[in-house]
Amino acid sequence: MILNMDGSKPIYLQIGEWLEREILNGNFGSDQKIYSQYQLAELFTINPATAAKGLTLLAEENILYKKRGLGMFVSPNAKEIIINKRKNQTLKKLVIEIVMESERLDVSKEELIQMINDVKTGEAGE
Amino acid sequence: MNVIECRGLTKVYGKTKALNHLSFTIEENKITGLIGRNGSGKTTLLKTIAGYLRETSGEIKVFSEKSFNNLMVSANVIYINDQMNFPTALTLREVLNVSAMFYEKWDHELANRLFDYFSFQSTHYYNDLSKGMKSTFNMIVGLCARCALTMFDEPTTGMDAAVRKDFYRALLKDYIAYPRTILLSSHHLEEIEDLLEDILLIKEGREHLHMPIGELKEWAIGIQGLSENVEEWTRNKEVIYSKDIGVNRTYAVVKNNLSEADHQKAKAADLALTQVTSSDVCVYLTSKTKGGIDDVFIKD
Amino acid sequence: MSLSKTSLLDNVKKQFTFKLKAYKQVFISLIFIQLLAVFFSFNGVGMMGSSSESIEIDIQFYSADMVIIFTIIWAFITAILITTTAYKKDDFTFVTNQLSSNLSNMLFLLTGSIVGGITAMLSTSLMKIIMNIFGGLGYISASPSLSEIVIGYSSTILYILLFSGLGYLFGTLVQISKAFAVLIPGVFIGAGILGAGSLGFEWVKGMYQFIFTEPSVLVFVLKVLVIVAMLFTSSIALSNRMEVRE
Repeated sequence: MILNMDGSKPIYLQIGEWLEREILNGNFGSDQKIYSQYQLAELFTINPATAAKGLTLLAEENILYKKRGLGMFVSPNAKEIIINKRKNQTLKKLVIEIVMESERLDVSKEELIQMINDVKTGEAGE
Repeated sequence: MNVIECRGLTKVYGKTKALNHLSFTIEENKITGLIGRNGSGKTTLLKTIAGYLRETSGEIKVFSEKSFNNLMVSANVIYINDQMNFPTALTLREVLNVSAMFYEKWDHELANRLFDYFSFQSTHYYNDLSKGMKSTFNMIVGLCARCALTMFDEPTTGMDAAVRKDFYRALLKDYIAYPRTILLSSHHLEEIEDLLEDILLIKEGREHLHMPIGELKEWAIGIQGLSENVEEWTRNKEVIYSKDIGVNRTYAVVKNNLSEADHQKAKAADLALTQVTSSDVCVYLTSKTKGGIDDVFIKD
Repeated sequence: MSLSKTSLLDNVKKQFTFKLKAYKQVFISLIFIQLLAVFFSFNGVGMMGSSSESIEIDIQFYSADMVIIFTIIWAFITAILITTTAYKKDDFTFVTNQLSSNLSNMLFLLTGSIVGGITAMLSTSLMKIIMNIFGGLGYISASPSLSEIVIGYSSTILYILLFSGLGYLFGTLVQISKAFAVLIPGVFIGAGILGAGSLGFEWVKGMYQFIFTEPSVLVFVLKVLVIVAMLFTSSIALSNRMEVRE
């Protein structure tokens, strides 16, 4: 739950990502009220304005929606949006890095795919 | 509404300008971090805001009134520093009682609970406390006074890590429950930055940066690679810090207003771009030379 | 944003209440000083003797003058003490401005003078009791009339107040410039050594006569009150633009 406070990533982004995880984990269903900026501020000992920025970010991506005077709620298709976003942005970036690193290390494409397969089967074996 | 308004604020002691044409405004109910090196004028600024010191020239208004020697300002501002003077003849409990008498919004119940939590003894005297305990007691007074403008100048001096954590947590909880304008000065930016909304950076009595803390994280960017490439790339850019690392490699920090072309060029020259933490940005911006302490050891 | 309101009067009251608590050591020192003075007084303040061939008479006078003088010195020093930075900073730790801090100091000095004056006069009674027990047969005490008592008490209080006013102004001047700490005593001691007449210090003597040789009680009271008011007003005027520094 504790944020990664190493200072490299803005806190509001980390708050956004943490909320996304909460939604993906199913801790918040669709149309359920999510934490207020003040609850988040207390939870992580951060400035409420920073917490609000994290919430606004998700609202802009339609993961959350605002009910005037009531607070922020989880959109019905929040999970979908998050998964798509992560696939297109986060995962893609990671793949690019993996490919670049494998090139630096002279790892062939086949070898790389094999490595991925190994990890996958290892997971299944557990 | 603006709580503090400074325009061309200058304070001269003898021949030195402690504050040099400082201009800024602080808005209501924000937590602002006041950052600067020792001797940069932080304490002078806070004391001028509190109305203890008279400006040499320029203007300073707190709650729209001139701050110096102003009873209304005094009633609504509390200034806590590590050299607090509490009456020596009063016990700790009596100091709390006197504070309750003076500050209209004083929360006596909270004061008593904090007093017990930090294991203070009613019959003890302030001057007999250790440095850390003094700071803790100051913090109780500063929080419970609930002043519309609350200023903490190096509040955690001497506190151990656990108490510092407690302090930040207490400050935040009370701020959420009773929003007010807070000015927090500290050497430990990394400790307080999560609490802040804005940051005010002072260098040699001047305002250097005043922006939301989130922007400070993205304000600068670090770059490293072969020295000649870094040098080439940073030409026509404002370098705020640079350091030689390893063999023929350089790390430099520049302002983060890079164009797409800059990114392309960096990639082409095999330069790695990295984030710079807020506290590093502050250190680089407030240091007198680009190389910091390393420059002292360079012998030509 | 709701701001706390405070009036000068209200704040002076609070500062005064605070000072009665915080400056309690001032009253403890008063008790010590007066007891010390009573002790010294038993040496007698004056002596008269006559003897013939067959009779020898020794008369020893005892009075509380010493206690009053000690109390005046106490008031003078106390007044200086509360103008010092440490005490000013105590005020400014809580809510105040210079005017309120000064006014409450003056109320405190007035209270101190009244308490000091009354206890100094009461020490006469203490001395009488002690003399009755240990003084032997030959002890005769004066029995003043009511009006004498009233005059005695009020003039004692006024003398003490006058010197606390002087101390306060002196202390305030020293806060403005440390040079006054040397200059002012220098002037007075110099005047004492060289004689008031020389060096144009006639006015010092004049002041002395103006206050201390006034035959009418009412005029005396008026004179002292006016002078005290002037001393305090000038202290306020001088310190109102002063900063609160380390």
